[in-house]
Amino acid sequence: MIEARDLSAAAGEFRLSDVTFTVPEGGYGVVIGPAGSGKTTLLETIAGITPQRGGTLRLNGVDVGRVPPERRGVGLVYQHAFLFPHLSVEGNVAYGAASASTAREVADRLGASALRGRDVRSLSGGERQLVALARALARRPAVLLLDEPFSALDPRRRAVVRREVRAIHNEWRMTVLQVTHDFTEAGLLGDVAVLLDAGRVLQYGPPERVFREPASPYIAEFLGAENVYAGSLRPLGEAAPDWLAGTPGEYAHDHRALEFRTGALSIYAVGDAPPGASYAVIRAEEVTLAPAEDAPRRTSARNEFRGRVTEVAALGALTRVTVDVQGTPLVAALTTRSAQELAIVVGREVTASFKAMAVHLC
Amino acid sequence: MTGRRSREPRAESHSLETHNTVFAPHTPRSTSPITHAAASVVAGLLASLFLLFLVAPVAELVVAGGAAGVRRLGSDAELRGALARTALTATAATLLGVLGGTPLAYLLARRRFPGRAVLAAVLDLPLLVPHPVAGIALLIVFGRESVAGRTLLEAGLRFAGSLEGIVAAMLFVSAPLYVSAAREAFARVDVRYEAVARTLGDPAWRVFRRVTLPLSLRGLVAAAVVMWARAVSEFGSIVIITYNPHVASVLIFDRFTSFGLAEVLPAAAALVLLSLLPLVVLRALRYERSAGVEA
Repeated sequence: MIEARDLSAAAGEFRLSDVTFTVPEGGYGVVIGPAGSGKTTLLETIAGITPQRGGTLRLNGVDVGRVPPERRGVGLVYQHAFLFPHLSVEGNVAYGAASASTAREVADRLGASALRGRDVRSLSGGERQLVALARALARRPAVLLLDEPFSALDPRRRAVVRREVRAIHNEWRMTVLQVTHDFTEAGLLGDVAVLLDAGRVLQYGPPERVFREPASPYIAEFLGAENVYAGSLRPLGEAAPDWLAGTPGEYAHDHRALEFRTGALSIYAVGDAPPGASYAVIRAEEVTLAPAEDAPRRTSARNEFRGRVTEVAALGALTRVTVDVQGTPLVAALTTRSAQELAIVVGREVTASFKAMAVHLC
Repeated sequence: MTGRRSREPRAESHSLETHNTVFAPHTPRSTSPITHAAASVVAGLLASLFLLFLVAPVAELVVAGGAAGVRRLGSDAELRGALARTALTATAATLLGVLGGTPLAYLLARRRFPGRAVLAAVLDLPLLVPHPVAGIALLIVFGRESVAGRTLLEAGLRFAGSLEGIVAAMLFVSAPLYVSAAREAFARVDVRYEAVARTLGDPAWRVFRRVTLPLSLRGLVAAAVVMWARAVSEFGSIVIITYNPHVASVLIFDRFTSFGLAEVLPAAAALVLLSLLPLVVLRALRYERSAGVEA
């Protein structure tokens, strides 16, 4: 388990401040954040390389504030591997190995055995990462810290190694904390996502929640949400389109029917946000499009707007379509095939719709 | 767009202000090809003259006295003794410098502590002091008149007029060169190698032995070679502390003042050849390093 409470550290001019998060024992945490947000410093602080200035850090229940790196039971893999150039590939993997058989086992499983006998200076970036991973795993650490460990691997090898690391993690019940820029990887691997910016944790929790319910518009934009609007919020009460006579004005968990106004647009939402100034986030994947001439349609989506397509950007199998809705741009993500079937082109009149539940208020 | 959120200015934002002078585009002035060619010729001429100034005296000395110097080694016991004494004391001074200077260099390269800059400046002090003055300073501290000198004398260590004095003088003037170069050698080893080794179970001292030392070894050897060469060529401070027994530089001075230029040439050439030996080793090390060690 990694348990950080108000953790602070300094590396040169950079400050890590009040970092609080927990990765449960045997859990897989991912750290995401822009460049320079302190992701590597966080890993180095957990490893004991960067001195802790304040707060508490517990690894598997033990306060390690004063424990030197070699006695923390952590493994650390840097993005640039940092293989010892004066040692061979075997020498690197065996450096701190729990046993010769463990070193062989992890090297075999990660495919690093094929590199045996090679001078580490002749390895490619991806091969170096494999050896660095094997070197750290061979020690059988209780906590494994990975700083973009798959970034130099080719896509096919990346998927294989990622799967193998996940399998080893499950078998050995290690706690892993991995830095990644890849949101897909974060979603695939992580039980806990920690979003870091300027040395502070902006949000942490299950990746699904962090991606679906970003705590601020900044997080939403960082995580790739394309429809982020500033506006005002008011409760609808009995004026809600879904209000059933004789039922309470509130749904479960204090959720209420709300109207979010941005520009000329009135969006129907369900949530527990207080009235007043607010932000609404609608992920592009939640927006569906239909040719305008198909309306009226029967659908469960409570938000339906007519608009004109202003931009179509095909990105392989996906297409990003921007629709102008009463002066407000709304982005929808479609499969390219469905965009072709619906003949979505610039200038086309369409109906854009999304559910009230797809509107995240923050 | 009316409703789309414009991001608020954030305290931590790192915006590039492209209008400032730092990022202002640089527009080079055009120079004519003739001006460019003339500048190249002048620069080449100056560099050649400078190189000639550095190389010619040494080359001339070796050409004029080298063969005689080698021949003289067979017959001139005093010269042989002085050269052996020089090599021996320089080696002893270098070993002491490596022993004491390596931890100091590592400390300066790796640790941040109050007074670090002052310590680094103090270490350079012997390089700035004229060497006869360095000899006088050493004599004040370790001479018979001083408390330290008397204590050492009682312990059987005499500095004035002894090999120990020669070693002390050589150490004083050349150790800063070792510390400075060793510090650079340690600084070139990325701290993340050490960080990884720590997480692999090694305490700091073992990381130093297994990782830092092997990765900085060439630089340290090069630093020691520079120190040795500097110690071999030392004259100013040695002549104050220990005129006798002669080291090579003092013997050359003695013969020059007693017998003149012609008589001193073979001895001078022999000392040059002795000094060139480690420099050849140093160049070979530097070449090997630049030939491809992982950064």
